[in-house]
Formats: sequence, structure tokens, C-alpha cells
Amino acid sequence: MAFSVAIRNPALRILFRNSWALGVWLLLGALLLWYSTLIPVFGPFQITSITKNSLPLVYLAIGQAIIVISGGIDLSLGALLLLSNVIAARFMAGQPLPTVVLVALGIIAGLALLNALVGFIITLSGVPDIVVTLATGYIWSGLALWILPSPGGGTAPEMRWLFTGSPSGVGGSYWPPLLMLLIPGALVAIWSRTTRVGLSLYAVGSNKTAAQLAGLDVRRAKIVAYGIGGAMAGLAGLAMVALTGTGDPRFAIGANATLNSVAAVVLGGVALTGGVGNVFGVVATGVTLIMLNPILIAMRVDSNNAQVIQGVLIAGVMMFGGLVAFLRERRS
Amino acid sequence: MKRRNRIYLIGSVLVLLALLVGGCVAPAPGAAPAAATAPAAEAPAKEGGFVLGVSNTLVGNAWREQMICSIKAQARASGLVDRLVIANRNAGPTEQIADLENLISQGVDAIILNPSDRDALNAVLEAAIAQGIVVVAVDQAVSAEGAYVVTNDQTAYARIGAEWLFETLGGKGKVVEMRGIDGVPADTDRHNGFLEALAKYPDIQVVAETFTNWDPSTGAQQALDLITTIEIDGIWTSGIDYTVVEQFQAANVPFVPIVGADNNGFVKQLIELKDQGLIGAAVTNPPAIGAVGTAIALDALTGKNPERVTLLTPKLFDNINNLEELKAIYAPDEQPGWSTYVDIEPYTLYNGSADVSACKGPGE
Repeated sequence: MAFSVAIRNPALRILFRNSWALGVWLLLGALLLWYSTLIPVFGPFQITSITKNSLPLVYLAIGQAIIVISGGIDLSLGALLLLSNVIAARFMAGQPLPTVVLVALGIIAGLALLNALVGFIITLSGVPDIVVTLATGYIWSGLALWILPSPGGGTAPEMRWLFTGSPSGVGGSYWPPLLMLLIPGALVAIWSRTTRVGLSLYAVGSNKTAAQLAGLDVRRAKIVAYGIGGAMAGLAGLAMVALTGTGDPRFAIGANATLNSVAAVVLGGVALTGGVGNVFGVVATGVTLIMLNPILIAMRVDSNNAQVIQGVLIAGVMMFGGLVAFLRERRS
Repeated sequence: MKRRNRIYLIGSVLVLLALLVGGCVAPAPGAAPAAATAPAAEAPAKEGGFVLGVSNTLVGNAWREQMICSIKAQARASGLVDRLVIANRNAGPTEQIADLENLISQGVDAIILNPSDRDALNAVLEAAIAQGIVVVAVDQAVSAEGAYVVTNDQTAYARIGAEWLFETLGGKGKVVEMRGIDGVPADTDRHNGFLEALAKYPDIQVVAETFTNWDPSTGAQQALDLITTIEIDGIWTSGIDYTVVEQFQAANVPFVPIVGADNNGFVKQLIELKDQGLIGAAVTNPPAIGAVGTAIALDALTGKNPERVTLLTPKLFDNINNLEELKAIYAPDEQPGWSTYVDIEPYTLYNGSADVSACKGPGE
């Protein structure tokens, strides 16, 4: 009885609607708590380390989540990360701060436009998202190698401070990376749930025809989603150059990043069929995926087994997700 | 009622998730948090019971796997190491920085790493050194201040082998240079060493230069094409050797003098095919450099002040003068790609290929 009273409270209703996102944040909290018992000291160094190292994946996962919610999927996000990373490393090296800021803003805006164009091409041509973005992914990877043929380049200390909390990239304050982790995720999450365009992504993603009949601009929704994905990939590339202080054009880095972004999105409760999910949950699962590695190392799990465990974990969570959806459907 | 069901459902999903996570990793032994409570800063006062961290970013590569096994074997044989924390995955500098930070968080006394980049890891390595952690880069150098560097001398690797080949040919003849991967530092260094030797022998003519990409089957195909089409007096290889020798047998072409690495398959051929006219030399490029790095880390931890930079000069074993040494390092139980030269004086403490191949660390 108490529960049915409570549910009329609007705040609680929002909580229940976002129960999966809440769950993954609780899971992350539990993992952090557990990790802290596995190591001798858990302090600012560890918090900084985990947050800053999570940034590239979290940004990419936010971008992927928005695109998946709108009914698409973008296999080129990792390649866009590479592109952003090498442009930043090549054109920021040795430059004064104003130039560095301009390059950073230029990368984010440029990649947003570039990927919005890809979204436009998808809506125009009717070719499936997965095919178009697979192709563009190869193009961006090739372009990255052309811009920076081998690892190198650099960035400004201020840029490194922004994403890592320290001008050298290691052992700084945890506030800058923590804020850089939470703010973009929160902004995109709130935007997607409160604005007309943001909500139209959910509508288009869950039923394109219905959305069209209701008078929503389906094409605009898709272009906006891909634009945001491009901007987030740009941000991820900047975070990566801040972490290492150099650029790296290797294809495998982009390919891995794409796969991890899809894993984070799936774990974060965003349905690959589109229209369902909360972007903020994806922030937690991005950090969780990064956390798994140190935990497994601390447990002395062999690296080969660690990969298997990671896969089993994703499959397991997915099946529980499916079970929840199935039970809900059967009840209603 | 529906709402209540949903709450139970969500609750049970969370509990199951927790169980899943717990269940997956719980069986791993020896992870009691008490084992890792000694702070790294006290390291110089300690006599043993060290915790060593290992970071490697190339998985599924035989040489690197043997390198890690040599670290385990050396740590076990030293008796000074309580446990190893190994971060081993396919990754670039970004992930390696995260791995190194994790090792620092684990409270390790020393870190042995095969670096993925010369400069990109410096900030985290210097942070570790500032905390009193001993940092040893093996196989490839890092530029971090205060780090120990242990590498194989790649220039000498090629020069020694090439000089032996040119000398064996009497300072005159047509040779083939079978290189590794174009653009990789080790390949560039080796090519320079090859050219240094070549400069001393004006009558040696390089008739072909190939890139095997350090892939046995690629090298075999190239060798077959070469020995069946042009006249060759000798072959220098960057370690793709036993499949090249096999091509002479397959094509029924008389052997020519050949230089390879200390690969088990090549060592076996040098011993067994000597009667059929095979002349060759094996130059060492030991993955046991990991064990040397471990020895240096332990020396630094126990206050023996080892050298900052250790450059291992390769050894050459040919089947004319060093047949007994070749027989001694040959490991009949191992794969053809196994690097047979594992006992490196005066550093290594374990006992031969069998100990390294067992791949057991302390307490395993």
C-alpha cells in the first residue's frame, strides 16, 4: 500500500522511470567500494586516475547513446575519436593557449558538422546506418593516418589540466576530471529529456512512422543526433590527447573505442532498437567498464580470462535486461 | 501490486548483478587485502617480500609471452618476491598509463614494463619514481628521469651476424637481407648494423632486400622465390630463419650460409642438418630480458645500486665452432619459435628453458 501511495509522488515516478540508470550508478558505487578494499590506499590519486581514464570512453558512449536512442548506430565514432586526437596533437603542439582553445573548439564544431552530414546522407539515401558509418569509419581512420602518420605531436599543459587535473597528466586534483565527466553527460541527458528536439529523438527512435505522422521532423532528429555524436567523439579525442600528451593514429585504438562505446550503451540500458534509455546511465557504465580492468588485475585474474569475464558480464546484464522487459510486457 | 512487483524485480536484478560480479571474480585466490598493506615508501628498508608490477601491451606474441614467463620465473627463483601484479593486454599508451596508475594503486615496490611509447608514459613513471617505486623499462627505452632501462643491442645484433656471414663467405659474394617490419625502431637499428658490417666488405653484394614482417610464412614464401630464381651465396635474416631453411629442403637446393636468431627450430636445424651441409649462426635476442629487468629491479630494491642503463650485447653461436653450446641451449620440449637463449649471466637465477616455460610466478 505504501508503495502505491509513494508512486504518485512525481519525484519518485522519475526515479522509477529511470530505474536502470539508477541501478548502474549503484552498481558503480558498489564496484568502487569493493575496489577500495582491494588496494592499500584509496585516495585522491585513485579517484583522479579512474575519472580521467574514463573520459574518452564516457564521451564516446554518450554520443553513441544519443544516436542509438534516435534509432541509429554509429560505427565510425572511434575513427572520429582518432581524427580528433591526431588533429589536436598535430596542431596544438607548441602553440600558445588561445590557438589551442581555438583548435579544440574547431575540432568539436567541425566533427559535429561532419557527422551531421553523415546523418543527412543516411536519411537521404536510405542506406542502413551501420553500412554508411562502417564506410565513413574507414575514411576517417585513413584521414587520421594521413594527418599524423606515426605517434607524436602534443598539447598545452592547460588542456591537460582541464581533463586530468594536472599539467603533466598524472596525479592532479580530481575536480577537473570529475566535473568534465559529469557535466557533459548531465547536459546531454537533460537536453534529451526536456527539449522538443531531444524528445523527438526518442519518438523517432521508438517508431519512425508514428513520429512522422505526428508531424515530427524525422530527418532533423537524425541529423541532430549524429551531430551530437560527432561533437562527443571530438571531445573524446581531446581527452585522449590530454591523457597521453601525444597523438596516436593507430586503427586498433579507434576500433576498440567503437566496440566499447556500444558495450557501454548496451549496459547502460539504452535499447539497440531505439527510443529507450537514459544517457546519464551510460556515464556510469563507461566508468564501470574502465573499472573492471584494475579490479580484475587486483584479483590476479589472467588477462585472457579477464576478457572472457568482461564478455560474460555484458551478456549476463543484457539477459537480465531482456528478462525485465519480457516480464513487464507480459504483465501489461 | 504491479508497482510493488516492479520494485522487487529491480531489487532482485541488482542483487543478481552483484552476485554475478562477485561470482565471476571470487574464485581468484590470494587477493586478501591484507597482503598489500605495506607502503612502497618503506622499500629501501626491506630485505624481501616485495610486490612487483608488470605492464605489457602486446598479447598473443610468442616473444612477449616468453618475456613475461621469464619475469615470473626470475621472481620465483629470487625468493625475494611475494607476488606479481600483471597488467597484460593489447593496448596503446592511453591504456598503459591507466595500467601503470593501477599498479601504483596496488602498492607495488617496483614496476617492470615493456613501454608502448618512449615519451608518453613519462609523467606516470616519474610519479611512481617520486613515490619510491623502482621503474625498469625492458626491451625498449623510456626517457623518464630516474628510470632503469634494459635493452638488447639491436644494432650489434645485425652487425655481429652480418660480419660472421661475410667472413664465412670469404669477404665476397651475393647476399640477401631479410628484414623485419619497415619503420619499426628495432628494424631500423638492425638495418644500420647490417650496413655498418657491409661497409667493411666492399666485395659483398646485396642482391635482394625483403621485409618478412617477422612472419614465418611470409619469410618462407620470399625465400622460396629467391632461392629458385636468383643465384645466392648467403642469407642474413632478422630472426625469420627456420622456415627459410625448410625452403632449401623443399626446393631441393643446396644450403647456403645463413644467419638467424636463437629460435629453437633454427638451433635444431643447425645441429641436425650440419651433416647435410647446412652452415649457419644463431644470434641471440633474448626475451629473458624481462628476467634481467627483474634482477635489476630487485638489486635496486635491496640497495645494490645497479647501472641505470643496461645494454645486452648479443651472442653468436655458429655450428662450426660452437656446436656444443648450440646443443646445450637447444630445448627439445619447446616450440620452434621458442627463444632458446634464456640463461643470461650473471642476472638470471632460474634453471633453463624448462623453468621459463613452466611460467610460474611466486606462490603459483
